[in-house]
Order: sequence, then structure tokens, then C-alpha cells
Amino acid sequence: MKRILVAEDRPASLELIRIVLESAGYEVVEAVNGEEALEKARGDPVDLILLDLQMPKINGFEVLAELRKNPNFASIPIVALTASAMHGDRERALSAGFSAYIAKPVDLRVLRAQTERLIGSTKVL
Amino acid sequence: MEPQVHIQSSWRFRDLLEAAPDGILEVERDGTIVLLNAAAERMFGYSREELLGQLIEVLVPDSLRDRHQEHRRNYSDHPVTRPMGMGLELFARRKNGFQFPVEISLSPIRSPDAFRVIAIVRDITSRKQAEARINAMHQEFATELATKNQQLEIRNREVERANRLKSEFLASMSHELRTPLHTIIGFADLLAEELKGPLNSDQQRFVEHIQRDSRHLLELINDILDLSKIESGRLELNLELFKAADAIMETLASLRPLAENKRIPIRESLNPALTIVADRLRFKEILYNLVSNAIKFTAEKGQITVECGERSDGLFCAVTDTGIGIDPAEQQAIFDKFYQLGSTTRGVREGTGLGLAITKSLVEMLGGKIWVESKPGAGSSFQFLLPRTGSEATFEAPLDSKP
Repeated sequence: MKRILVAEDRPASLELIRIVLESAGYEVVEAVNGEEALEKARGDPVDLILLDLQMPKINGFEVLAELRKNPNFASIPIVALTASAMHGDRERALSAGFSAYIAKPVDLRVLRAQTERLIGSTKVL
Repeated sequence: MEPQVHIQSSWRFRDLLEAAPDGILEVERDGTIVLLNAAAERMFGYSREELLGQLIEVLVPDSLRDRHQEHRRNYSDHPVTRPMGMGLELFARRKNGFQFPVEISLSPIRSPDAFRVIAIVRDITSRKQAEARINAMHQEFATELATKNQQLEIRNREVERANRLKSEFLASMSHELRTPLHTIIGFADLLAEELKGPLNSDQQRFVEHIQRDSRHLLELINDILDLSKIESGRLELNLELFKAADAIMETLASLRPLAENKRIPIRESLNPALTIVADRLRFKEILYNLVSNAIKFTAEKGQITVECGERSDGLFCAVTDTGIGIDPAEQQAIFDKFYQLGSTTRGVREGTGLGLAITKSLVEMLGGKIWVESKPGAGSSFQFLLPRTGSEATFEAPLDSKP
């Protein structure tokens, strides 16, 4: 089963994303802030990381920069998740090195499709 | 006869001297006053008897007397005619000791037996006072101007700051509003998917209400954000040269399914070669708004026509429907923010009321104008005109374009 690390400081959003991904057949590892995201990313290997950009203390951009320094994470897709929808946000995220950008409110189908595109489906049945 | 003429001319000369408004004095080489007129008497406050035979320095302020004697000696060595206003600012002294500013012209008179100088003295007190007043006024204006400029600069900084705060506010408001909407919409969609178990028909309907209204709220937030950006001039235009018909066809492609749901055919009458310099995305947004409005306000089996052609003053587009139409009294107001058609549209209030305001702003940003022609019951035709060369002179056409 493919493992996805989801870093999101809002519990409701975290639960929503977890349910959607779990129902699509992925295993979800939760982190409630940037520090925990870094910690868990360095733990058991994950196949995909979903980072909310606006987290207290260490934000998504900083987590990304930290992870990208480590060659182990060079090939792991890291996806930005944000409720900010100002012009240029997507470009800024992609040029910072995110593999994809998903805007909130998240379209559940888009979330599933992006995930599948990046790491493939794990539905064995 | 000869002497008679001489006497007469001598009297005339005296009259002339006495009538002159300037003080006139004649001075010997050694500075002795030998002649003066009435104006000089008045000016200096001495009688003629008091001054005749005195040194001219009696009329010079104490502090300047020594220098004056020196000047006088230099002048008699190199006498030239010096007209009024050519010299320095000079001061004279009245009998009562008062100083006053004067302008003096000097003319040497040479005769075989003597050297004399005629001095014409003009009291310039009132001119100096006027100058001083003008200078004071200048000073006052300059000070006032400086103050105003300073105030203006402060205002400018305040406006800049307010604009920055507004941008920051917009960004954070947009973020703060979307964050809870994200979970509201997400969980409603999750419920509707019935992943955690089936919903009964009431529950399905409730969830649909949440889905629809939360998406409406999202649309409102997006529209308000767009409008604020347009109004604060922060929406950037990416001008490019493109074929209007291509952009229109792309827009119609995304709207056709919506129209087909209501069995409304969209016909187009486009000049396929017509190009325009504009922001392609915004151009499509204008059309999208107008056509989706037309679909919204047209009953099933109605018809929509999209036209685009060239006019002498630009590119003309019209989106015409056979919908409910707009009352003449409302035709101007529909472009206002949050305006929604009144009684005529009962049941169709699903928009944000910002679509046409945004559309109008976009058209105007591209340097064009938009208007509506409509008859209630017969349909509406939204028409706009855009300059074909773009609203900014700095645009450079891309090379790959074929006009």
C-alpha cells in the first residue's frame, strides 16, 4: 500500500483529506505542523507528501526546502495545498519545487486524480 | 527778437525743471549744490535756500558719506552718463534723518570753464515697498506650496499604504474565507458520495443544498476578489495578438454543454480572420460571462447568437438571446455591483450579482465600452466594442501572428 504524508494544521481539513485518500486505497500519515511533517518524513519512507502552505512556525515552503536538500527526497512528489488563490501562487509553488499545486476548496476528484497521476493507484482489487 | 526768445526758453526750461516728478540737482566738481528743483525740496525736506551751496553729501546717509565722496571724485575723473536703474540700490537721507531708497541717474555737463553733474533722483520707496510686498507674497506662496506639497506627499504615502493594506487584506480575507469553505464543500461532497453509507432522499436533498450554496458562496468570494483587484488596478493585463474568432470558439466550447442542457442552440457569426490585441484570457472571460448569462436567462428551446465583426472604431461583439429581456428602466443598473434583475427574474437568482460589473470593468480595462439593447419578453443583446490595437501603447506584437 502506498503511503502518503499529509501535513495540515486544521483538524477538519486533515480528516477530510485522510478519508478521501484512505477511501482511494492509500495509507495516510498525519502531521499537524511543519515540524512534525519533517520528523515523520524522515521516519518510515512515504511515496507522496501533501503540504499545506500556511502552517504555523514552519510553513510548507520551508518544509519543502528542507526536504529537497536531502537526496532521499529528490524523487518523491511533494504537493502544495493552499486556500490562497491569488494570482501567481501556483507559479510560485511550482517554481519553488513543488510537484503539483492543489487549491482549496479541494475538488475531491482532483485530489484523487492528482494523487493517482503522481504515484499510481494502489487499489489491488 | 533774439533775447526775447532766450528769455522765453529759459522760463520754459525752469517750468520743465519745476514740473519734473524726479528730484533734479546740479552739483559742482567739489560737490557743491548749485541748483535744485521743487521735487528735490519735497523729497529731501529741505528748502532750496538750505541746500544751495551745501555739499551734496548732506543728502547722503551718515554711514555712506565717506564712500560717496570717493565715488564722486572717481566719477569726475571718468564721467559717463549713467541712466536710472543702472546703479546699485542707493539710499538718500532726508533732513529729518530718515533714509529712503533712491535711484539716481548722472549726466556730466562739460563747459569750457567748469565740470558739473546733473543728478536726477527718484524716490523709489513705494516701488521698494511694492517689491517687498510681492517678495513677501512670493515667500508666502512658496511656503504654502511647500506645505501643500508636503501634505500631498504624506497623502500619497497614506494612499500607497492603504493600497498595500487593501491588497494584504484581500489576500488574507480570501484565504480565511476559503479555509472553512474547503471543509464545508469537501465534507458535503464526501457525504454526497455516500462513502460512509447511503443517504435517504431527504438527506441527499439537504446535502445538495449545502453543496449548491457553499459553491455559490465560493463564487461570490472569487468575484469579489476579482472585482477588488480590477478596481484597485492590480489586475495585470497580458496583451497579445490573437484571432477573436478562435478565442470565442474556445469559450463557446466550454459553455455548449450548459446550453444543450436547456436545448438552446448557440449560433455564431464570426469573421474568422479578425485579430485583436488584448488580454486573451480576459477577452474570453468577458464572453464567458455574457454567454453564460444569456443561457441563464433564456428559456428552453430559445436561441443565442454570438456575433463578432469589424467596425471602423474597433472590434464589435454581440451576444444576443431570446430570453426574458430587460426592462428599459433597469438597463443601466444591471452593470452595477450586486444588482440583480427584479421581478422579471424570479427563480433565476443564482448568480452573484457581480458578473456584469466585472464584465464591464474588464471591457473598460481593455479600453472598450459595453452596453445592452433589450426588449422585455423578446430578448437581450449585450454588445461591446474593443480597440483592436490594445489599450497600452507599449505593446509589441508577437512575430508568429498573421494579420
